[in-house]
Amino acid sequence: MGEHERHVYDVVVIGAGGAGLRAAIEARQRGMRTAVICKSLFGKAHTVMAEGGIAAAMANVNSHDDWQVHFRDTMRGGKFLNSWRMAQLHAQEAPQRVWELEAWGALFDRTPDGRISQRNFGGHEYPRLAHVGDRTGLELIRTLQQRIVALQQEDFRQHGDYEARLRVFAECTITELLKDGPRVAGAFGYWRESGRFVVFEAPAVILATGGIGKSYKVTSNSWEYTGDGHALALLAGGSLVNMEFVQFHPTGMVWPPSVKGILVTESVRGDGGVLRNSEGKRFMFDYVPDVFRAKYAETEEEADRWYADPDSNRRPPELLPRDEVARAINSEVKEGRGSPHGGVLLDVSSRLPADVIRRKLPSMYHQFKELADVDITAEPMEVGPTCHYVMGGVEVDPDTEGAVGVPGLFAAGEVAGGMHGSNRLGGNSLSDLLVFGRRAGLAAAAWVESLAGDSPAVAADDVTAAERTALAPFRDGTADNPYAVHQELQQTMNDLVGIIRRAGEMEEALDRLERLRKRAAEVAVEGHRQFNPGWHLALDLRNMLLVSECVARAALQREESRGGHTREDFPKASAQWRRWNLVCRLDATGQVSVDRKPLASMPPELLGLFERKELASYLAEDELAGLPEQPTGGGPR
Amino acid sequence: MDITLKIRRFDPENDTEPHWEAYGVTVLPTDRVLDALHKVKWEVDGSLTFRRSCAHGVCGSDAMRINGRNRLACKTLIKDVNPDKPITVEAIKGLPLQKDLVVDMEPFFDAYRDVMPFLITRGNEPTRERLQSSKDRERFDDTTKCILCAACTTSCPVYWVDGQYFGPAAIVNAHRFIFDSRDEGAQQRLEILNEREGVWRCRTTFNCTEACPRGIEITKAIQEVKRALLTRAV
Repeated sequence: MGEHERHVYDVVVIGAGGAGLRAAIEARQRGMRTAVICKSLFGKAHTVMAEGGIAAAMANVNSHDDWQVHFRDTMRGGKFLNSWRMAQLHAQEAPQRVWELEAWGALFDRTPDGRISQRNFGGHEYPRLAHVGDRTGLELIRTLQQRIVALQQEDFRQHGDYEARLRVFAECTITELLKDGPRVAGAFGYWRESGRFVVFEAPAVILATGGIGKSYKVTSNSWEYTGDGHALALLAGGSLVNMEFVQFHPTGMVWPPSVKGILVTESVRGDGGVLRNSEGKRFMFDYVPDVFRAKYAETEEEADRWYADPDSNRRPPELLPRDEVARAINSEVKEGRGSPHGGVLLDVSSRLPADVIRRKLPSMYHQFKELADVDITAEPMEVGPTCHYVMGGVEVDPDTEGAVGVPGLFAAGEVAGGMHGSNRLGGNSLSDLLVFGRRAGLAAAAWVESLAGDSPAVAADDVTAAERTALAPFRDGTADNPYAVHQELQQTMNDLVGIIRRAGEMEEALDRLERLRKRAAEVAVEGHRQFNPGWHLALDLRNMLLVSECVARAALQREESRGGHTREDFPKASAQWRRWNLVCRLDATGQVSVDRKPLASMPPELLGLFERKELASYLAEDELAGLPEQPTGGGPR
Repeated sequence: MDITLKIRRFDPENDTEPHWEAYGVTVLPTDRVLDALHKVKWEVDGSLTFRRSCAHGVCGSDAMRINGRNRLACKTLIKDVNPDKPITVEAIKGLPLQKDLVVDMEPFFDAYRDVMPFLITRGNEPTRERLQSSKDRERFDDTTKCILCAACTTSCPVYWVDGQYFGPAAIVNAHRFIFDSRDEGAQQRLEILNEREGVWRCRTTFNCTEACPRGIEITKAIQEVKRALLTRAV
């Protein structure tokens, strides 16, 4: 194994989106020699596509906001299945992370008095999303990239080497985590350009690889989203939690076919856009669930007054959490009230003056103008659900983001599970990346320091085995091409484990996945290792198939409907099921197993933020009976 | 509809020179050039190599020369590039060719890093946000839209003949900080851009402005930097 390129670091971060870069900055600031490895070019991560904003209770626009209200909204959005501790840390620390980003130079839209402006979003009680027009994710990535360049120039002044303490390995893919006993010892991968293998030795590895959307046909996700970190964690002995919960964003483009799935930001609705069916009706008024009824307007008049006077009116139902809106659109289309191309109409043209639309939603204006020949200042958009986000991910310790069962492995951002429960609120992703990216960097540094030189070692045999696995697709034969297998996988997940699920279809999906797994194991690719996209996809297939199986198995097991998991055969949420997480692992034979694990119970001071009546809609009777009659602690103001 | 894509291919393991190859594919007029390239890769030749990521014009990975003009493949509709004739697709010019449509972006990012693309301030970090008026924020809004796709820099005839020139994208990213009311490093950056390979190389041909997929008024930004250098005021 001596012939491979080798690098030794304290901390290796896999993924250069918001979570990965924030983690790397933290580790480097704590004195760790840090590597960031990413599949794309530096600065092109999926995070750039986030449009709406960063949720943080800074109370710049509505002074009633505070972390408790944000926490409450997050738990409601996740239907009480969230890791309460992660939701708490997230709500408490998000403002600090936004101010820090501003201090590093991020551009924000401002209030009239020059503070960071905040916009309304689905499920958030107050205007809470710090934003830059509709390009917030791009600005977040650019700011973190700039911060890294600044740190590298600082290192150059001190050490004469820009990469002395922080290096980005771009266009490099990790295929295996390496271990020494139970502990992480490093990672194995290849340079996409040359196909040459590379070994990283490091006592701490942070997964920040994002999501799994490329397993679905209609998705807003980019090509990187093949579930790499999810699969790497599983294969390294870690576990995945909440995998049955996949978020279908209610508004993706539906026409023309080539752009189907591309995201239409929730800001369109936050800024006044409304959803109508083919009869011109604002149908969302018919879909307000009981748990949300008290907070949402019952008439169009009240909903319209809310934009100007939110304190004395209730919010429009278009701003319900994403799972509710996606299901409503799905129902309208199914019942024959859809738009010409199978979506519904999202209209902002009759709601705001053209110049305001162009100023507040410039990316949307251009996206529709250029890709669909639609002028959104003059006509409505056609939209429908698109696979957008996976709530499930690596099971981690809430405070340190350490992966359960694998010392030295950490996970932050979309690849980690727990924070969002069964459904994520818009805007809570960018804040998640910053809050938990930083925490993972911090904990990884502490872990390395605690080793005091007792570093794990990479075993030669493991490197040889990783190399053999990576080269396997270069086999002779007339077997499948990887693109065909991928397309069939996407169709299977879309049709059989999509937005509405049925037991029979998921069993069928598991059968098909089994067959696809066999085919993927026999896939043959042509050509050399240099920049060979067919080979890259052949390796990604393993990850996508593993993760898809976890989604399907967990979804089949959870016999209720909650957040991003809707069962036609079990249409209601069950208070008994709320007590359980489903946890996926690989057993000794490499098969996916799914186990129930009880959720941690929320401490009384956080339960006290909710009225008993509301808790009754989530908790089982024996749980309610155990609560004090008047919960104590800091209630909402 | 049936179209022909003429793609300039280069495989460094087997070719000494790039060569053109034609591929026939069936597409919709509303498909994008990126979709047509995917069709070639998935159905005809799995070795065709190009970068792409977000696929709707935000990440800036798939800048290429389409019919001789720099564009993002994911934002260029087939119907808009005269599909009755063969559509030519080649890598962007002025950066070292690696394979097919992929170039080495390092020289481009080197120039970006040289202009100190980060906020420079003195004193302690504030506990909350700094205040910035909407007017001050508007001043540099346009140049914050850059996605570092290199379409501008690799459309610049000065850059083609002189790789030392910073190129439009680096100047855009310097502009973004020079005119940020919170930044205190303007003079340092202006000094860098005042050098031989700096803004004075610009011949105002407007290629960059035309090429920018984000609609940034790049030539205007470069002019503003030149003016700031002459007046030493931002």
